[in-house]
Amino acid sequence: MKSRYAFLASLLIAAAAQAHKPSDSYLALSVDGAALRGQWDIALRDLEFAIGLDADANGEITWGELRAKHADIAAYALARLAVRADGRDCGLTPTGHLADEHSDGGYAVLRFEAACGPAAPASVEVTYSLFFDLDPTHRGLLRFEWGGAAQTGVLSPERPTLAFRAGEAAPLAQFLDYLREGVWHISIGIDHVLFVLSLLLPSVFVLRNKEWKAAERFRDTFWDVFKVVTSFTVAHSITLSLAALAVISLPSRLVESTIALSVVLAALNNLKPVVAERRWAVAFAFGLIHGFGFASVLADLGLRQGTLLLALVGFNLGVEVGQLAIVGTFLPLAYALRDGWFYRRVVFGGGSAAIVLIAAIWLVERAFDLKLL
Amino acid sequence: MNVHGLLGPALLGTALAIPNWAAAAPYLPKDDAVVLETLPGRPNDPAAAELRQLRAAAAAAPMDAQAAARVARRYFDLAIAEGDPRYVGYAAAALRRWPESAAVPAEVLVLHGMLRQYRHDFARAMHDFDLALTAEPGNTEARAWRAAILMVQADYAGARRECELLAPHTTELHATACAAYVAATTGQARAAYDRLSRALAQRSELDPGFEVWIQTRLAEMAWRTGDFAVAERHFRRGLALGIADNFLLAAYADLLLERGRAAEVVALLKNWVRSDTLLLRLALAARRLNLADGDKYVRALGERFADAALRGEKLHLQEEARFLLDLKGDARAALAAASENYRSQREPRDALILLEAALAARDPAAGAPALQWLESSGYEDKRVREAAAKLKAMKP
Repeated sequence: MKSRYAFLASLLIAAAAQAHKPSDSYLALSVDGAALRGQWDIALRDLEFAIGLDADANGEITWGELRAKHADIAAYALARLAVRADGRDCGLTPTGHLADEHSDGGYAVLRFEAACGPAAPASVEVTYSLFFDLDPTHRGLLRFEWGGAAQTGVLSPERPTLAFRAGEAAPLAQFLDYLREGVWHISIGIDHVLFVLSLLLPSVFVLRNKEWKAAERFRDTFWDVFKVVTSFTVAHSITLSLAALAVISLPSRLVESTIALSVVLAALNNLKPVVAERRWAVAFAFGLIHGFGFASVLADLGLRQGTLLLALVGFNLGVEVGQLAIVGTFLPLAYALRDGWFYRRVVFGGGSAAIVLIAAIWLVERAFDLKLL
Repeated sequence: MNVHGLLGPALLGTALAIPNWAAAAPYLPKDDAVVLETLPGRPNDPAAAELRQLRAAAAAAPMDAQAAARVARRYFDLAIAEGDPRYVGYAAAALRRWPESAAVPAEVLVLHGMLRQYRHDFARAMHDFDLALTAEPGNTEARAWRAAILMVQADYAGARRECELLAPHTTELHATACAAYVAATTGQARAAYDRLSRALAQRSELDPGFEVWIQTRLAEMAWRTGDFAVAERHFRRGLALGIADNFLLAAYADLLLERGRAAEVVALLKNWVRSDTLLLRLALAARRLNLADGDKYVRALGERFADAALRGEKLHLQEEARFLLDLKGDARAALAAASENYRSQREPRDALILLEAALAARDPAAGAPALQWLESSGYEDKRVREAAAKLKAMKP
């Protein structure tokens, strides 16, 4: 019997991936001056195993059954958590009980306060041992907030203690990460790049009698570029912020399609000029939509409440840095070449036509969810 | 640079006041009758009663390694049946007093190895099985596990050798099953199928759990050679044995998806959303049928991968790659996950996702390890072969 079962088990599992989420608790601690508060989400399944919740043994845990055990849960959990501020133990007191859902089921939510003395601490140490005796694969996922900056850590039997100090430099590192992401995104976000380029291509010209003529003074060209780039930046910063702060959200298909449309229109305008002086207004109007596009990238990077603003500013600055690099490369070249046949026919005419074509394909792909290229 | 000074305190206050997890929103249930969680298993489950007894026996004899091993083994079986890693944790806790060393019984060493491989710590698991075999050279279980891990690592010569070493110590059906499993992955699926189905026909009495395994493998072998109807017959026979089996369900769902029968996948798996591997198949099917639930499943899967990332674990990379490729349409990220996965896991389905992700990302170089594997193994499946041919034709 033994070897028979064993054999089956062996070849089966090695092939099968772990199918469920393992046991985790979510512990959030925040320090605000001398006040230290916590929220601890503990899986009902784990509490059932450790102290028993299902009083009527019907396989379901109700709020009533959980409520009856609140005192036991607080006593059990808080006895397995130690918080020390500047080397002194803090007394932990439960302040409330709620319920929540995580991706793998129901959780008890225990809120508590830590009394660490009257002074704002300079260092805090957290030692965790919940469930480690019952399930050494259990982990405490800690999120620690101090003065608006958040850090995360994983508490395990191998590493049950994590220490935090006030004002650590972590936010700067995160900020730089987001900045890099912004630069990276603009450099691979070809639709944004083509939109800006389409608007910049005619900057070295002026429109006279519905025809583009080479600009005579660099100052005019510079101001034209400045207005276009600034309008685009202001506009996309507004919508990027609104979307990231969840004030507005638009369906991504609409956003992506409109971005493609904006590229088509901007490049068409070069071939058949409708707007010349006021291209900055076009940059502003469509910049609003491009902002939503950036926001979806930022959301994919994974945002937490605590680092939202940091991320927002970092990412946005990154996008601007990338954009300036493109403008800085483009402008001197275009200005130098503006009188010649090559720039006018190949770069300006041919380039705009190619952009119209590519962006039109994107537009069809994105609007109708097709794959043409 | 002082970031906070740069932003201004007013803004900071509003955005950062609430310490919270991304998706969490604690609430006060409206009355006592609200059900917050449904526990796995039925009420008065005999398995639960048996576990209670085993735990009590182990607690009463804290120095008895065998009693602890019985608890650990029972939990491990549960982990496999339900796909729930919590039980692996409970099993590990039961063995706490007997850490790996040459001094503990072979049975305990084998269990340590089983728990380690579950967490993909293959090197240390192999070491545990070696220790067990030193203590007890005829330990079939340790031998079979070594074969299984070598299969995952695509070391077919090594796996074949383990099967040969296993043969003198076990029944003919086991020995055949082991050898056929290796042969079917190395270009002899047809012959392996014939051998294994003949060996099965000669046995009248069989542990139903082992038969589920054999039926699943026979189904895969038939599928590999393009006999879809035969494959389906074996999957259905496996299901008819009435043993909950995550792996069988996942493999059958994959066949149905490949054959364009998404509606049947939804019917098969709609009550299995707790299992990540099965939720993935369910989401793929629901998306294909444009069902309203599709988005819900995709969101839930995304949250589970995000939770796993918080924990800092990467046990789900193959599934995550499939999720990114087929449900998120993010070929680059899918390829990154599939490549990382392939460094430790080299089963056919790991190769398939690597090939398909490399194709979608138009990065033939990234798919090279899977192409090499296909060349050297002689693996027959049509879908894998087609993906490989397309990738080879692609210009870098």
